[in-house]
Amino acid sequence: MAKEMVSKKPGDKLHVFDVVNYIVFILIGLVIIVPIWKVVVDSFNKVGVYQFMLWPNSFTLDGYKTIIGTQQLYMPFVISVVTTLLGTLLGLVLSTLGGYVLVQFDMPGRNLFAYILLFTMIFSGGMIPEYLVMRRLGLVNNWWILVVKHGMNVYNLVLMRNFFEGIPGSLYEAAKIDGCSPMGIFFKIVLPLSKAALASIGLMFSVAVWNDYSTVKIYITDPLQVNFQYKLRNMIMDGDTPITGYKVSQSTLYNAGIISAVLPFMILYPFLQKYFVKGVNIGAVKE
Amino acid sequence: MSKKKVVTSGGIEVREKPLGLRIWNNRGYYVMFLPVLIFLLIMHYWPMLGVRYAFYDYKPVGAKTFVGFDHFAKMFSTPAFWTAFWNTLELSIANLVLTNVSAVVVSIFLNEMKNLFAKKTLQTVIYLPHFMSWAVVASIFSLFLSPSSTGMVNGLLRDWGILKEADKNIYFLANTTWWRPIYWFIQVWKETGWGTIIYLATLSGINPELYEAADIDGATRMQKIRFVTLPALTNTIITVLILNLAKVMNLFESVFVLYNNAVFEVSDVIATYIYRQTFAIALPNYGYSTAVGLFRSLVGCVLVLICNYASKRVRGRGIV
Repeated sequence: MAKEMVSKKPGDKLHVFDVVNYIVFILIGLVIIVPIWKVVVDSFNKVGVYQFMLWPNSFTLDGYKTIIGTQQLYMPFVISVVTTLLGTLLGLVLSTLGGYVLVQFDMPGRNLFAYILLFTMIFSGGMIPEYLVMRRLGLVNNWWILVVKHGMNVYNLVLMRNFFEGIPGSLYEAAKIDGCSPMGIFFKIVLPLSKAALASIGLMFSVAVWNDYSTVKIYITDPLQVNFQYKLRNMIMDGDTPITGYKVSQSTLYNAGIISAVLPFMILYPFLQKYFVKGVNIGAVKE
Repeated sequence: MSKKKVVTSGGIEVREKPLGLRIWNNRGYYVMFLPVLIFLLIMHYWPMLGVRYAFYDYKPVGAKTFVGFDHFAKMFSTPAFWTAFWNTLELSIANLVLTNVSAVVVSIFLNEMKNLFAKKTLQTVIYLPHFMSWAVVASIFSLFLSPSSTGMVNGLLRDWGILKEADKNIYFLANTTWWRPIYWFIQVWKETGWGTIIYLATLSGINPELYEAADIDGATRMQKIRFVTLPALTNTIITVLILNLAKVMNLFESVFVLYNNAVFEVSDVIATYIYRQTFAIALPNYGYSTAVGLFRSLVGCVLVLICNYASKRVRGRGIV
């Protein structure tokens, strides 16, 4: 408030600065919005054009109908949905359990557990040894790889631990005195107090699984096991377009594909933005 | 040993219980940790045992044979490996610098914005690309920059007369001159907004009295930015750089979705090199690609330890 009062002082070059600032930010906003809006418009346009238009000039839903009606396109979408749900669930189970155990400061072996978790952040076997292990487990050419690979995330586990650390210890002690078991405390006290963290970290898991491309590219060659991100990129950039019964232009189909790939999170995004943002702040700078 | 004294939360000194009893009392927690432990062992520690293949010839058919450091010798004498190594460093360090410079600039000027509605709207817009996958972003820009008749950039270049009648459309993503600038542009486009979150959080914590004092001294807006805002961000900038420097060897997906065989010399990174050595050749030697991977992990490991040390010096706590 004080700041605003002083900055209204005459001779502060307030107007020039603010006008320039607004103009620059409008330009930044346009740089971000224009490529995205072009995709939105083109996904409804019957024929592809290079011009930027604010509104489709020949409206059609054929792009989306093709995606819904072609097995090679809707199967990857279904796999994306299923893996995202399962991966998020597994991720939340493992990170809450692990994070909760790591704040049991009087538990013998707590430090050992912390070290074996943290060591994986420093060193890893690498892409190929991982691939060989997963192949032995039957997870090659199998969409479960997406669930398993993202479910165990040490970074998110540590975020969860940091959050649990903020819950006052007296609450645990009171519950223990009342005869509550570790599981009981976990379900009756810890989880209900952590709804915000569960939302933030759950979102981080689901974005990671939904958006994954590399894992599919490395582990899966069967076209009926791939996820939508992989299918989309292959279709647009490697020309792997399915033959369809619809008479849809390539541009319409490609752009509709892109929109379908971002739609779930774009719908949720305005409502969940604060949880997305909170995730960053739990982790990074706590000072 | 078990005679150690501990202080309870009530401030009373008691003798610590024997270890066996403490373990028994905490049995519930061990059971809860079990699933985590199982996943950790399978997903992280079992693959670690696989690094031994770096010293073997290991092909999809035939037996494994011990070859010592042969793979490393081959790797260090392969020009393609060195190209990938230097590309990794150049691309990811430039990513780090570019996205952070733009994030700092954007957050400083966003912070100067008095209209809260405009500020919130802009934040929503600039965070947006972060949630799009690399596959989607690559698809958007490959259509946008496409040399076909629907590519917007080529179309506009023609409209504006920069591309003449006789010129061919530019295939930006398959052009060694254009690939890197475009890659960096896309990186900045996607990650700048997200990068501002941490700087905006720091800026919101600056004591307003500092600005008042500057006003009394007759400082202009730009001088306030230079002498109050920017110094307040220094620590956060250093922290972010340290945290991310530890990850430079991890560069993978953003390149993986955007590169193609026309631009390997400017775009191939270690991870994509490993991928191709294993999955894009007829008879891969898992031993060789494991060796390259081990080299990548070791360099990454050294970087993490250096950054951890730097972080302890700078801000009093490590990064791991």
